[in-house]
Amino acid sequence: MVIFMENIKLSIDGTRILDDVKLHVETGQIYGIIGPNGAGKSSTIAIILGLYVADSGKLELFGETVGRPSIETKRCIGVLPERAGFYHWMNACDYLTWYAGLYGGLKRSIPELLARVGLAGVEMRPIGQFSQGMCQRLALARALVHSPRLLILDEPTSGLDPRGRREIHDLLLYLSREQGVSILLSTHLLDDVDRLCDRIGIIHQGRTVLEGSLSELLNSQDTGNDFRLRMETAPDHTILPKEARLQASIGGWWHLHLPAGTDPADMWRRLMDHGWRIQEIRAEADRLEGLYINMTHTAGSAGSEETI
Amino acid sequence: MNPIRLIAIKERQALLKDQRGLIWLLVFSIVLSTFSLLLISNTELSLLDNAQVVYLLIGTVTAAGAMISVILGSDAFAGERERGTLVPLLTAPITTAQLLVGKAVGLLTAWAVMYLLALPYLWAVGAGGQNLLQAILYLALFGTPVVLGFGALAMALSARTGSVLISLMTSMTLLLFSAGVPLFLDPSLRDSAIGKALDMINPFATALNTYDSVVVDSEAFSYQLLRLVLGVAWLCVTLIAARQAAHKPSFR
Repeated sequence: MVIFMENIKLSIDGTRILDDVKLHVETGQIYGIIGPNGAGKSSTIAIILGLYVADSGKLELFGETVGRPSIETKRCIGVLPERAGFYHWMNACDYLTWYAGLYGGLKRSIPELLARVGLAGVEMRPIGQFSQGMCQRLALARALVHSPRLLILDEPTSGLDPRGRREIHDLLLYLSREQGVSILLSTHLLDDVDRLCDRIGIIHQGRTVLEGSLSELLNSQDTGNDFRLRMETAPDHTILPKEARLQASIGGWWHLHLPAGTDPADMWRRLMDHGWRIQEIRAEADRLEGLYINMTHTAGSAGSEETI
Repeated sequence: MNPIRLIAIKERQALLKDQRGLIWLLVFSIVLSTFSLLLISNTELSLLDNAQVVYLLIGTVTAAGAMISVILGSDAFAGERERGTLVPLLTAPITTAQLLVGKAVGLLTAWAVMYLLALPYLWAVGAGGQNLLQAILYLALFGTPVVLGFGALAMALSARTGSVLISLMTSMTLLLFSAGVPLFLDPSLRDSAIGKALDMINPFATALNTYDSVVVDSEAFSYQLLRLVLGVAWLCVTLIAARQAAHKPSFR
């Protein structure tokens, strides 16, 4: 196992940040950590990288128990932090060559690496002239410059256009499937998780509330169905089943979550009979989103965004 | 390549290629040019003894060097954090001690550049007078611990607070206090036991007193040994503080 994390607890300045986080990443697997802002995703990554030391719990990297990763372990890890910062007076080629030096020297050609992340032909351009999306791609090249066995990526597709996102998805899938690189991915974009991840962990309020393979979780957790309804007036929601959730949106649209086992057609009939003036119904087919919302549904759970 | 060397190379490039580094060196040169011009052209200042002029100039070089060292030191960890480049350094296979030493070598390089820039000015105002070579030598010997010490202090604050502004303001205040005491304290008070004790623990006063003894009063090196020990002790204390702070730098 590449990462084995159990019962990890962490307090910072007397505040409990993580309280029972677990995470298991196998070789060649893409593992997605998802959770609301402030849930503890970045702190979990910071512990794996040795930026924080856990108060208690067990952390193993590449089969060895660690507090902070050793120099040798660090050589096997590539990191893409949430903020992709660089020295703007350097050009891409000089920067990557310099950074690779910290890992013992270049293991692959810079032009080839830059081409892989979609930055062909900009080797000699100062990084100060790069757009946000180009910086994000360069940060991925930096994470790959020493051919790591484990990639830890915090929001890898943030700031990328749809084509760029697709290219990065393809690259990550290639690294995982063809090269056997294990990837730990933290993201808010459930589409990234859906397309890439073999296994996910949902972290909420410092705890891993759900962990498993995507198909297992979706099959095991019948989370019900989500719909968007357009109605002229505010409906009487007392008719709804107890577990259903109705939330007002903009432009006369409402979000309705129906619990598992509820027949939608029957429900619409009952609602119309009780005076709901429904003009339009749209099913929201994203089951992963439903699972995520279900597992992290707590009033006022949004916290401040954390970064590493 | 050795990680310390790589970090030091990056720091040298930041000084000589990045606009901010070049601007500070330009400011340093303008300060020296203005001061030298005043010493030579001002009617009253030009009446000063040649050794006094050299003494004033090496004091100025030390003060300006310490100021720029404080600016660079404040940027060492907090600046990396604010630019988003600290996490890639902390997750690379180097120890925080290697990172700190690389940064300290960068400070030493900056001081070496400033020292070389100061030499022509010293030559211009002090050529033909007494003790110019001693002044140049003692500037290296006693100025280096003062300049690097203040830089290391700024690095410690930079790593601990994670804020360029806080570390810069705090270390600059300490530097100004340290440089101001020997200038503004009444001579009779400086001769008292308290004044002497203050001078002993003040690294800047130690350097200035040494320059005065050697350049103006032509005292021998043996009289300066205690001051050298105090200067080196100041450097060691600040480096230890920087080492402690850099072990767990603020990265968020």
